[in-house]
Amino acid sequence: MNLAKWLGATAGRCIPKHPKTRAKWLAALAISLVLLSLPYLVRLDGKPHADWEQFLGRFHVLAVHLPIALVLLVPVLEIAGMFRAALREAAGFVLALALVACLGSVALGFLLAYGSGEAGATVTRHLWGGVVLTIGTLLCVILRPAWSSEAAHRGYPAMLGFVLLALVWTAHQGGTLTHGNNYLTEYMPAPMRNALAFGVVNAAPGSDSFYTRHIDPIFDAKCVSCHGASKVEGGLRLDSYEHLMRGGKDGRVIAEGEPERSLLLQRVTLPTSDKHFMPAEGKPPLTPTQIAWIRAWVQQGASPAATTLAGISIAEPVKEVPLQPVGDYSGLMPEIRAMDQGQGAKLVPVSSKLSDGLILNTVDAAASFGDTQLAQFDKFAPYVVEAELGRTAVTDASFDTLAKFTHLRALHLEGTAVNGAGLAKLAPLTQLTYLNLSGTKVTDATLAPLKSMKNLQRVYLFNTPAQPAPGADSAQNSQGAHDDKSSESK
Amino acid sequence: MKQHPLCTDCEREAEVMHLPIPEGLKREWAAIETRRRFLGRSGKVLGWAALASLFGESLLSGDARAANAAAKSGAAGGRDFLLPNFAPKAKRAIYLFMSGGPPQIDLLDYKPNLAALFDKDLPDSVRGSQQLTGMTAGQAHFPIAPSHWPFRQHGETGTWISDLLPYTAKMADDLTIIKTTNTDAINHEPAIMLMNTGNMNAGKPCMGSWLSYGLGSMNDNLPTFIVLQTKMNQKENNQPVSSRLWSSGFLSSEYAGVGLRSGGDPVLFLTDPDGVDRETRRKMLDAVEAINRQTLDELGDPETNSRIAQYEMAYRMQASVPELIDLSKEPQSTWDLYGPDAKEPGTFAYNCLLARRMAERGVRFTQVYKRGWDVHDNVTGMLPILCQETDRPCYALVTDLKRRGLLDDTLVIWAGEFGRTVYSQGGLSQQNYGRDHHPRCFTTWMTGGGVRPGTTYGETDEYSYNVAKDPVHVRDFNATILHCLGIDHNKLTYKFQGLDQKLTGPVPASVVQGLLA
Repeated sequence: MNLAKWLGATAGRCIPKHPKTRAKWLAALAISLVLLSLPYLVRLDGKPHADWEQFLGRFHVLAVHLPIALVLLVPVLEIAGMFRAALREAAGFVLALALVACLGSVALGFLLAYGSGEAGATVTRHLWGGVVLTIGTLLCVILRPAWSSEAAHRGYPAMLGFVLLALVWTAHQGGTLTHGNNYLTEYMPAPMRNALAFGVVNAAPGSDSFYTRHIDPIFDAKCVSCHGASKVEGGLRLDSYEHLMRGGKDGRVIAEGEPERSLLLQRVTLPTSDKHFMPAEGKPPLTPTQIAWIRAWVQQGASPAATTLAGISIAEPVKEVPLQPVGDYSGLMPEIRAMDQGQGAKLVPVSSKLSDGLILNTVDAAASFGDTQLAQFDKFAPYVVEAELGRTAVTDASFDTLAKFTHLRALHLEGTAVNGAGLAKLAPLTQLTYLNLSGTKVTDATLAPLKSMKNLQRVYLFNTPAQPAPGADSAQNSQGAHDDKSSESK
Repeated sequence: MKQHPLCTDCEREAEVMHLPIPEGLKREWAAIETRRRFLGRSGKVLGWAALASLFGESLLSGDARAANAAAKSGAAGGRDFLLPNFAPKAKRAIYLFMSGGPPQIDLLDYKPNLAALFDKDLPDSVRGSQQLTGMTAGQAHFPIAPSHWPFRQHGETGTWISDLLPYTAKMADDLTIIKTTNTDAINHEPAIMLMNTGNMNAGKPCMGSWLSYGLGSMNDNLPTFIVLQTKMNQKENNQPVSSRLWSSGFLSSEYAGVGLRSGGDPVLFLTDPDGVDRETRRKMLDAVEAINRQTLDELGDPETNSRIAQYEMAYRMQASVPELIDLSKEPQSTWDLYGPDAKEPGTFAYNCLLARRMAERGVRFTQVYKRGWDVHDNVTGMLPILCQETDRPCYALVTDLKRRGLLDDTLVIWAGEFGRTVYSQGGLSQQNYGRDHHPRCFTTWMTGGGVRPGTTYGETDEYSYNVAKDPVHVRDFNATILHCLGIDHNKLTYKFQGLDQKLTGPVPASVVQGLLA
């Protein structure tokens, strides 16, 4: 209420009955309306338009510094005018000049955005900032005469203060457009950055953000060979978040929240025969899934920091279970050698590193290697990381022994007489990621206990009752392994 | 009277090999001894003497270290190699070698823009100062020959693959395709040697031998390194492939590849003749071994050790090979997958099936050679035949390994010795064209343990003539294969001719990280 009263009072004082002054106000109102409606009349649709618009528009970046300097000069002159009256007189002139410069800059800026197809939140903010700033300057011009004749009129200083704030904000948006998001804060000393807190938000995308984990790798694989540091086709680089958001010579490529208006998404979804289709030159296109991820990411603000997106759930790539080093078995070397001689089954080191463990290799003794033979390897159980028991004579009775192989990562039982009855005993083997039961008699029922083994990623069931009869369709077989991963390890 | 052990005229008592002296000295001793015997045998001809001193010492000194290890063999821990250097992703490899040079432009390196350039001359700037083969150097024109076959995108990765390879296309998402493999040689012999041994000149050990030497056997009953040759198709332009490609070079001949024949008995004279039973054979071999051991003690020639080992291997193979090649227990699904060709010994399909069986039985390295890719003319006539022979078996092998859980630790490699030119050799018509040898870029693929599936690595220029991005030289290619098998290519070395010899040669090579999983 107070504000309305104050406005009414100000208007009452400021709008004299004098017809000339009234004409001035009407003109100001008209200009403001034109400025305010311009973005609605000519929408920034994110598509490039005439070249001449871009040509002229690019002078915006140069011309824009003129109104900035002039607007900043006005308060300086007003303050200095308190001591030297002549300077205050100049302020009025400078203000008028600033208005003209503002109008010119807005026009050029609009040409630039429209001509080059710029779109997106920052451009929009910058545009409105420029419009508001220009209207504010216009009001200053009108309010000033009243203030200079009668210092009690506070409208002018208030408006000038507002204009200065608008100037700073708009200029910052413009800077962000040309230099990228964290240009100002990139080299800010860490303590200051922390104290201000805002540097954290605008900083490089976090390593667990959706952008870093899922969006950036797509660009890396499909785009960066032409849009990267070494080759900057179309002035566009996609090798970092800043570059992505800055866009290329056709303007910005990502319109936050507006996937339909994002040039990047338009280009990758064109028909492949279109000459603007990306990736160009027959390079592998983006997959539908990848496009869906990018669309969702843009739709939800193209944030560098967001870690998850609504509606997108990505199965994390199977994590390598960190290898647990096995203990030192060097003291057992003589016994290991003796086992080799006696059994025909060998304990072979995985690598020159002792802690990588041993592989139990039975291929030379397959037919005669049964449950009793395996039991004799009890002593080495904690050091064995892989048991190759394929095509041996072991049976389900061996699962008791195998349960003691605490570091076992891979277990081969293909082509054995195992029917799976003892599989439950493998439960304590948390390191086990690979289990080959191809060609055995395991069934869906006997496999059930495996479902609780979280780390078990690969279970092979080719040619078992647990898998539909093999053969008829080779394509179906080919996916066996991957199906198993999903169905058996969950 | 006992003489000084290092006296060159010593009698039998001088048991140098049993003295507690450094290995190096023993090795030198063995060399001296062997050379003297060599000279004695050849009647002390001066020419022989010169030859012997030229390359005698190191050539004949052989692999004392390995001989030493072999003497201790039986104990896997007895090997004194510190390999693998790190836990490997792949325990074994299958190398499908497309001898002759498959044309990358017609198979895997899609160049849509070439269609518009049909019959236009290849710009000189693209060819640069390259010296061409004698077969096309005299051509007045180098007319661009676009591929006769359309390409389509396949799989989730949208990989472009020619319609000639419908089966390979089905596994597009499993492959690691390298478009920028490149070599130094423009003719078959040097190029195929470079690919296999890391050197254009014969005499260096091939990859399989290096792997046997470095990693040892996983199976006592089958060779560590087996070579399968595909029966020659007379319609095709076949370049010779012979045992020089699986030779162990200066390494002990134990590490040479064992070639299985493509027809008849896979190993000649493997079956005992009538009237000789296995018992008799065993006795004979024991006697031969006793004599050989005597010779070894006398002369210390490590090759004697190899000979003993080879007799033993042959004996064990008498039992293991018949089982290996007995396909009667293969389920119907196998034949559905590999196709009818697989039943006929010596076909590429049959060899791919054998390769899978060898992988199951612990053969470390299997190399399958398929000749005929040397399409200098009549590309449109020859390529469909070649692809029909190879495309389905390649797919079948990878798929079979995958469904049986073997692809996780088996590396499969598909490569030729070079690629073929974009320009036509001889006349170019809408219907037909020829392609000459092209070393500057060719396409290869790998899949399985250690490499990243669904990857296309490197880019060639718009003519598939030069590498535009991420070149993979043969030595980098080989270094990467060794890496997948847990070997640092700089650490698998053997001292010979004053150098620490290695598969990748003296020029620095690097593992291509972009190919790795």
